[in-house]
Formats: sequence, structure tokens, C-alpha cells
Amino acid sequence: MLSAVTTDVQKAILGEDPSEGALRTVGSSVLLLVATLATIFAAPGFALPVLAVFLVVTAFGWTTHQAEMARLLTLVATVLTVLTVTLITVYLFVSAAPAFAAHGLDLLTIPIVNGEPQWFLWLDFLLPSAESIWNPRAGVYSLIPLIWATVIVTTIAGLIAAPLGVMGALFIAEVASDRLREIIKPGVEILAGIPSIVYGFIGFIVLNGFIQKSFLDDGASYLIAGLVVGVMALPTVVSVSEDALSSVPSAMGDGSAAMGATKWQTMKSISVPAASSGISAGIILGLGRAIGETMAVAAILGAVVQPTVPLFDVFDASSTLTSAIAHNYGSASASTVDVLFVAGVMLFVIVAGMSVISQYVERRINEKLRGQQ
Amino acid sequence: MSERYARENELVSAESNLYDKAMDVAIALSIVTFVVGMITFADAVPLGATGTELVNFFAALLGVVVGGTGIVAVFSYANVIPITSQRVRGVAMGLLVSAVGLTLAAFVLPVSLATMLGLVMLLEAGLLVAAGVVSRLGLVDTAPSMTAGLLAGVVFGIIGALVGAVIVGSLPGLDAAVPGVPVWLLGAIVLGVGFGALAIVPREDLGSTLPAALIIGLLGVTIATAVIGVGWQWTPENLSGGFTGGSVIPVFVLFGSLLASWSAAKCRADFGARGRQYGAFFVINLNAFLMVAIMAAIVVFVTVKGVGWAFHDFSIGALSLLVVLTPILVLTAQHARAPAGTDEWHSAARQFFRVVPLAAVGSLAALLLGIIVTGTTFEIPYQYAILVDRSTVMLDTAFRVTPSLTVGNLLIIVSGAILFTYFLRRYGSLRNVGTEYERLSLVRQGVPAAVGLLGLLSLVYVVIGPVLDNIGIGPVLGLGVATLGAVVVAAFALVPLGALVTGEGTLAERAHESAQLLNVGLFSGIALLMAVIVLEWTAVSNPQLGPVAPVPVVALVAAVSSLCIAALVARARRSTDDTLRRRVLGDEVTLALAAATGYVTLVGLHVAATSESTFALGPVEVGINGSLSWPTVLQGAIPLGQAPGGIYPAIIGTIWIVIGASLFAVPLGLGAAVFLTEYAEQGRFTELVEIATNALWSTPSIVFGLFGAAFLIPRLGNSLSLLAAQLTLSFMLLPLVLITSREAIKSVPDEYRDASAALGVDRWTTIRSVVIPAAMPGVVTGVILGVGRIAGETAPLILVLGSEIDATTAVDVLGGFAFTTTPPFITNEALLGSSAALPTQVWGIITAGVSGSPSKGWATAFMLLVVVLSFYAVGITARTYFRRKINYE
Repeated sequence: MLSAVTTDVQKAILGEDPSEGALRTVGSSVLLLVATLATIFAAPGFALPVLAVFLVVTAFGWTTHQAEMARLLTLVATVLTVLTVTLITVYLFVSAAPAFAAHGLDLLTIPIVNGEPQWFLWLDFLLPSAESIWNPRAGVYSLIPLIWATVIVTTIAGLIAAPLGVMGALFIAEVASDRLREIIKPGVEILAGIPSIVYGFIGFIVLNGFIQKSFLDDGASYLIAGLVVGVMALPTVVSVSEDALSSVPSAMGDGSAAMGATKWQTMKSISVPAASSGISAGIILGLGRAIGETMAVAAILGAVVQPTVPLFDVFDASSTLTSAIAHNYGSASASTVDVLFVAGVMLFVIVAGMSVISQYVERRINEKLRGQQ
Repeated sequence: MSERYARENELVSAESNLYDKAMDVAIALSIVTFVVGMITFADAVPLGATGTELVNFFAALLGVVVGGTGIVAVFSYANVIPITSQRVRGVAMGLLVSAVGLTLAAFVLPVSLATMLGLVMLLEAGLLVAAGVVSRLGLVDTAPSMTAGLLAGVVFGIIGALVGAVIVGSLPGLDAAVPGVPVWLLGAIVLGVGFGALAIVPREDLGSTLPAALIIGLLGVTIATAVIGVGWQWTPENLSGGFTGGSVIPVFVLFGSLLASWSAAKCRADFGARGRQYGAFFVINLNAFLMVAIMAAIVVFVTVKGVGWAFHDFSIGALSLLVVLTPILVLTAQHARAPAGTDEWHSAARQFFRVVPLAAVGSLAALLLGIIVTGTTFEIPYQYAILVDRSTVMLDTAFRVTPSLTVGNLLIIVSGAILFTYFLRRYGSLRNVGTEYERLSLVRQGVPAAVGLLGLLSLVYVVIGPVLDNIGIGPVLGLGVATLGAVVVAAFALVPLGALVTGEGTLAERAHESAQLLNVGLFSGIALLMAVIVLEWTAVSNPQLGPVAPVPVVALVAAVSSLCIAALVARARRSTDDTLRRRVLGDEVTLALAAATGYVTLVGLHVAATSESTFALGPVEVGINGSLSWPTVLQGAIPLGQAPGGIYPAIIGTIWIVIGASLFAVPLGLGAAVFLTEYAEQGRFTELVEIATNALWSTPSIVFGLFGAAFLIPRLGNSLSLLAAQLTLSFMLLPLVLITSREAIKSVPDEYRDASAALGVDRWTTIRSVVIPAAMPGVVTGVILGVGRIAGETAPLILVLGSEIDATTAVDVLGGFAFTTTPPFITNEALLGSSAALPTQVWGIITAGVSGSPSKGWATAFMLLVVVLSFYAVGITARTYFRRKINYE
């Protein structure tokens, strides 16, 4: 058993049939690396010298057994990457645990306004309700207003990004000439590259004033935040949907053209249905971006946490899950930080889940299209 | 795609009749109303405008339309951009007609802009009804289907339901006809079904015009009769906000004109399959245009807002600008040489467009020379806002180009290095050309040896410099060797020129014969002088022969001599007809130009190496401090001064964050990608890693911030720190590097690996010499785009780096390293301390409330945009370049 494991490890590190010298060089390098990791946790002060020794040995090994060393280094990179990913995930969950333990279902408290629970349908019966919903000093926390704010902003953003994004993808994939595509595609990428804080600054200084004047609002509003986040999610929808549309085999379009169909008929009846799962993957990813968007929302909506009354009031404003973290973390007490970690885990789970779903959908469409070719 | 639809071009170029022209006008009219709707939505023109104001507005619009269509018409007439499509011509004519008509109407009718828009929408509705009826009666030749289709029916049904709900709901005094069901719901159902039926039941020509016309007409009547007028307001009880005429009217106009353009486009293309295509494409194109417009608007808006503060007190010497201009000049010259445009273009026009950039650069250079010669400063004075004691103060400032002849050495080094690389890349080879003199081979062997010796000597100075100084031979030795080197270099530079000028035969023959001399002389000279400058740097000496410093003087002489060679050879090249000789001489010109730029670069390097403040030649000075003054980029904030200083600390902070994050993430991600793609067995494990990295890539950035703040900061000295920021962002960058590198490595064809294996090459050598070079373009592009994204990332930074807005000093990371005798032996205060950064500074200004200066925020946002977009520009250009290269090879 043990020897089997050793052989496996050796095979992973060195590949098949290593030479004596390679075994020695790479072995010492591995040992030193393990030593480095150990000192980081045991005596962090001495980690740097050990690391330096590792580097020297590795550099020496690189000159004598380059192939084996390269394999080792890439393996180390892989292991470190996987470790990082695991560490982040596990640490988030562990940090969120205290708040779960302390507040439990109370984190989903629904507010009471004017003596009436303000949340509709069955929520009243399922969840506890309270007068105060976000009061760090009294230790009262409810994530429901934050979740609902996220829902409103994401809905508005989706209503904007989905139709416009799909039409934009259709334009780039099917309508535009090659030349035009060379201009528009980078244009969309640049739209994705504009930092979110710039959107936030525009929203904070310009658009909030606009909505106060044109929509008689008294300050920030979901409408503006949703609009801005919609524009920000647009490029994601466009590029993923465009990839899906472009990967529809050209034979399908050619067949349609041979039947005498116009371009629009081909698009409507062949390309879009064939790429529909890819397009929905794009929309899901776009929604994921919208949920995770922080700075623009934080700048536009401000730091207030309050229930939205009535639920569909798009002119109201409250922090979302993301912007609550951004606003509150710096000045938060330990218990608030734990609650913010619950919000972070929630975001992480939702968005990572959406990403996994969209990957699954994309993989399926690829298999399907490959089967048809 | 295009071949499949070849017939389409014939169709769109067919002659148009009166019906077609009317529909073109309808399309154009809806475009105009759409644009006006956008303008009024942004409140650029008040909806209540009447009389002269309205006439002026429409006259301006007319001017824009005339200018736009006019220039296209001229180009089309000149056959530069031939426009054969009758549809495009028709829409252009329609634009003119509508703009003229609107201006006249504004002149004649005493109405406000809002009423006018309502009337125009009524007109559009009328046109659509007329088109539908004319087509139904068979007066024009169209090809409608039996019905407008289910999709149109459903869309119109939904719109009808909305209209019904609003109309019935807002009519007062209507009691519930059916108890328990709200009236607005009844209205919605009735009108929804009605509109849906109206779209589906009649033939397509009526089905796609009548419901659209009804809706547009309804909106038009509402606006024109001022039911919803300029001052109209509606605040629903349970909403925090409300609606005003100022926002509702533009929305109505935008929606109505979109609908009208779709319907009119359908009519124009005679309904049926072609009509649907034209209508759908019209909307899709409009959407694409809108997307690009949004992007451009954001960039332009931030630029306009931020550029004033960002360039306050900016001044630069004209000569420095000229130095910056030279690489651009060479690039535009290259552009002018390359063939451009398509073959159908008029050849004269093609040449014109090729030389326009060159001419522009030339005239700019002439302007700068004019500034130098006349000695007058070029100034654009303007005002910018700063915040003093929470109140805005306007300061006078100016954008200046001074006639100063001082040039910073960094500018010279950068420009010169760019040009040197450019020319060197264009230079082919002069091997086996011309006479091979016997002594040349001696030089060929001697120069590397000399360079090596100089290098050794430099090393000696680095190691035991103080000792040499103490025994007194340090300065003398350095001075002597450097001077000797300079003299030899002068010989190297001048001998080829001498060979070119004297000797037998024509100039071209001499140039051809002395190719080797040129080759060896110029390259050796540069290499030797470079070694001498390194020696100057390590020996801390600046040899002076009386008032003259030999090294830079020799470099200048060599540069001039190389330029002379270039000019002479270029002249000789003109005079010869021999193709082979022309080629050789062309290479020689490139070589001489490369040498000239190389020598000029060395002048800049000399100033940097000797840390003497300047090297002056008459009035021209090359100094460490150039004539550039740009407080925003080169200074920290000045707390209590009149001038606000700049954002240098934030820029430096962002640069260090980007560098640190890339240092951690790029090797790790690239290594993992190589292992996962080349070594690991493709299966469960690799798939799992792929899914996990993809999920991590779309994880909200604030979550990374949480992790960094809670995990990294306690382990890195318990304070906000630059190192934590770098690590946090590297965790964000890691998945992207991994994903793009894997994509790039995967897309290297297996034939490459097989071919390499067939040659008996082992796996690692194959990866190193075949796979990675082939995948490099993709990797580089991916990394650049990812880094661009990281540079603008804010959310994690505010948790781990803080958000300082008035930093006065920048972090000094390089100078922060210190060795200690206790663990951890190397410390860096700068890395473990906080720093300003561009994105967090913008956030800081937002949260600072009244004490945050908006103008500084705009300037910071502008600089951030410049940084991020330049990463994107470089990344996208690199990708296009590599893709073209791969496709054409």
C-alpha cells in the first residue's frame, strides 16, 4: 500500500523511468520545498532562507536535469494553484460558520413596518420577523433586505443586458462584415475593461442627479444601479453568446441558404435555436457578473440597509450583498464581520454555482454540435 | 456568408419608386426623432423650447445632417466610397428632407419641442397606415405573407396590454365592471388581445403597420395634446420616486420611433421574407450602434471631465515634443509606404489617405520648429476646479509648449530605443556583400574581445572600486580607458563615411563595395561605446578633455556621420537601376539609420550613467531633468498649497500592485497550464481543476477582498498592506492566466508535437522549443488583458489597502528592502505598509462626501481609464497582429 503510494508520487513528479541523478536532484528539491512550506507554518521568520536554499538547489538542478526539473516546477505550480483555490473556499466557509452558529435563521429576519410583516406570501410564516433588521450595535442582523436589493438590481440589469446582449451577439456573429467585426468586437471588450469604479463614479456624480430631477427621486435608486450594472454585464452576454453563435457549424447555415431562406430566417430558425444553450449560458454568466458587481452598486446605492417597501419600488435604495461588504467591512465589529462572511459565502456559492451551470450547458452544446457535424 | 446572398446586392441597388422613397423618408424621420429623443432625454435641449430656440436647434440639426450626408455624397461622387445601394441613398435623402421639414415647421408653427415631437409621431403613424393600405389595395408591387407572424403578434399583444392597463387605470371614474377584478387588468386584457389579433389576423402589410401606427399615434396624441406635457408630474403613492414629463416624453419618443423605424423598414423592403429581414436587421444594427455609442460616450465623458485637472500646469519643451514625435513620424512614414485600402478605391484617394497621417505629423513638427525658432510659448489657457475648505475654487492654468531646448534623457532613451529596434528589425543582412577587407576580420574578432575586457573592468570597479580609488589609479584608469574607447569609436564611425566619400567608381558602386565596412564599423562602434558607458557608470567617472566630454561628443559625431551615410547611400540608391544593388543599398540605409538612432540613445544613456546633470551642445541640452512639467503625474498631493499637486503616489501604487500580482500569478498559472495540458492525463482531475478555475474566475471580486482581509492581513503584520493587495489580486489573476494559457497551449496543433517527437526530441524539449513558442501569442494576450482588468479592480483593494485620497509621497518599494540579522532577515516596510492606488482613490473621493474633490476624482478616473485601456489596446493589437500573422503564413 505504502510503496504503491510512493511509486505513484514518484511517477507524478518524475514521469516514467527516472535516472539516478534526476531522482537525487529532484528529490532534494522536493524535500526543500516541503521544508519551506513547513517553516511557513511553523516558524515563518525562517521561511525566506529555506526558500532561498530551495531556489539555489532548483537552479542547480535546472542546469543538470532540466526536463525533470521543469516537470517538477509545473507540478508544483499546479499543486499551489489547487491549494490556493481550496484554501480560499474552505477559509470562507470556516469564517462564516460563527455567524451561522450565532444567528442561524435570524439572518433571514423579515422586517415589521407599521406593525405588519412587510414580506409577502409564505415568507411571513416561515421566517422570524423583527422591528429592527440591521443594527450592528444591538447585534441584530438580517440579510433579507440585502438579498432583495441584489435581486432587484440583478433583475433590472438582466432585463437590459439579456436582450441587448443577444442582439449585439447576433450582429457580431451574423450581420457585421469582417471589417466591422474587427472594430465592434474590441469595442465590446473595451466596454468590459472599463473599471467598475469609473461606472460607479459616473453613477454617483451624474446619474443620481439625473434621477432626482427626472424621476423626482430623493436620492439613490435601484433603477440607476440596475441600468449601470446592466451595461456592465452586457459585454459578458455578448461575448459568450457570440462564441456560441459562431460555433454553430457553417454547414447548417449553408443548408438553410440553399433552401432559399433569407439571412434573417436562417438566423431566427437555425442559428439561434442551435446556439440557444450557449446563449443561455451567456445570460447566466452575465447575471453572475451582475450579482457580483460591487463598486458601481456601492457608489450609487450608498451604505443604507433598509427594507424595500413596497417590494417593487425601483426608486428605493438599500445596500446589496456585495456593497454591504464594501461599505461595512472597514469599520465593522467582529460579529458584523462574521455576518459579512455569510454574505460573502452566499455570493460565492450563488455565482460559482451559476458558473458551473453555464459551463455544463456550454459543454453540452459543444457535444451536441460535434455530434451533428 | 456574403456569397450566399449575392443577389441581395442587386435587390438593394434596384431603382426605387415613389412608394420606396416615401418609406425611406419615414425611416429617416424615425431616425431623426430617435436622435432628438436621446438629446431631450439627456436634457441637452429643453422640451419646452419654442420660437427662436427651437428654430436654432433644428437648424443645428440640419447643419449636422447636411454636413454628414454632404461629405458622404462627395466621397461617393469621387468614387472613394461608392454607394450603390438605393436604400442608403434614399435614407440619406430622407434625412435631408426631414431635417429641412422640421426646421421649416419650427419656423412656421408656434409650438414647443414636445408638441412638435408629438406631431411628428402622428405623421409617422399616418405614413405607416398609408403604406399598409396602399399595399393592401395592390397599388404597389409588394410581396406580403398571409400574416405578420406569431412573434409580432405576441410582442404587439404585450405592448397593447401595457397601453391598455395604463389608459384604463388612469381614466378617472371607471368602476369595476366585474367585481373583484381591477379595471386596469380588464383594459390590459382587452387591448392586449385586440392588438395581438390586429397583428396576426390581417395580411402582413396591414398586420405589421396598423398596430404599430395605432401605438405611435396614441403616444403622439398624448404628447401633442399635452395630456402628458412638459410640466406633467405623477408620483404614485407607494413609490419613492415619480415620473415627470421631462422623462416620460423622451421615453415615449424613443420607443415610438424605434417601432416606426422597424415597421417602415418592413414596408420599404416590400414585406414578406425580405421585409422581415430588413426590419430585423434595422433594429439589430441600431442596437450595435447604440452599444458602441455607449462605450464611446463613457470614454469621452470621463475624458472631457477629467482632462482639465489631469493636465493642469502641464508644460513641455518643443524639442522634447519633437523627440517624442520622431517614432510617430517613422510609423506614419511606414504607413504611407504600405498599400492601404481596397482595390476598388480610386487610386488617387488611396494615396491621399496613406499620406494624410504623415502630413499631419509633418505639420505638427513644423509648428514645433516654429515655436523653437520664434521663441514664443504656445499656450492654451483654461480654468480647472479644486477644492479648498470644502468649497470649489477655480484656478487659472494653461497647457504650454515652451521653446525650451532641454530634453530629458529618459525621453531620448525611450524614443531612440524604439527607433533602434524598429530599424534593426527591418534590416535584413549584408552577409557576403561587397569586398571583404583582410583587416576587417581582425576587427571582427577584436571588438568582442575589447567589449569583454571593458565589461571585466567594469566588474572590477563594482567589486573593488573604493580600493582602486584609494590607491589613486581608479579615476585615472577609468578616464583613460573611456577616452581611448571613445576615440576608437569615432574611428569606427568615420571610416565608413570616408570610404563612401573617397575612392573609385560611382557613389553607388562605392557604397556597394564598402558594405562590410559599414556593417562592421557601425555595429562595433555601438557595442564598444555601450561598454564604455557601462564603464563610466561603474567607475563613477565622466571623462573630460578640457571643456569637452569625449563620450557624448563622439556619440553625436557618430550619429551625424551615420546620418550622412544614410543620406549618401539613399542618394546613390536613387541613381541606380540594378535591382540587386538597390536592395543592398536599401539595407545599408536602414542599417545606417539604426546606427544613428542607436548613437543618439547612447547620448541619453551617457547622461543617465554619469549622473552629471546635463550634456549641453550649444543651446541644446540633454538633462536628467527635462523640460516636462506635469504635476498630476509627477507630484504627490500638496496639502495646503494653492496648487493641488498630483496623484503620483496613486499611479506608483497601482503600478506596484500590478507588477506584484503578475509576479505571483503569471509563473504559477503558466506552470500549472503546462502541467495540466502537457503532462497530466486528461480526465477527471483536469476537468475538475478547469471547472474550479472557471468558477473562481467569475467569483465576485469582493469575496477575494474578504479572504485577503481576513486571512492575509493578520499574517502580514496586521495592517493594511501593499503586499496583501498584491497577493489578493494575484489570486484573482491566477484563474485567468491559467484559463487563457491552457486555451493557447491546447490550440497548438498536435502535428507540431508529433513532428517534434518524430525527430526524436524528448517531451520537455518539445514543450520548450515547439509548444510554448507557438502558444506564446495567446498567453501574452491573455495575460495583458487580465492585467488590464486587475489594474482597475477596486473592491478587494478597499478591504486590504484602504482608500487614501491625498497621499503626498509614493511608496518606495525598491528602497524599502532592508537586511536584518533577526528572522525574517529581509524586511520591506514599503510592502507591508499601505499605499494609495488609482481605483481606491476614486472610491475614497466618493466616500469622503463633501471633502472629496469631484474634479480630482474625474482626473483620477481619467488616468485609471488611460492605464486600463492602454493595457487593453496593447492586448487587442497584439492579438490582431498575431492572428493575422498566423492566418497569412
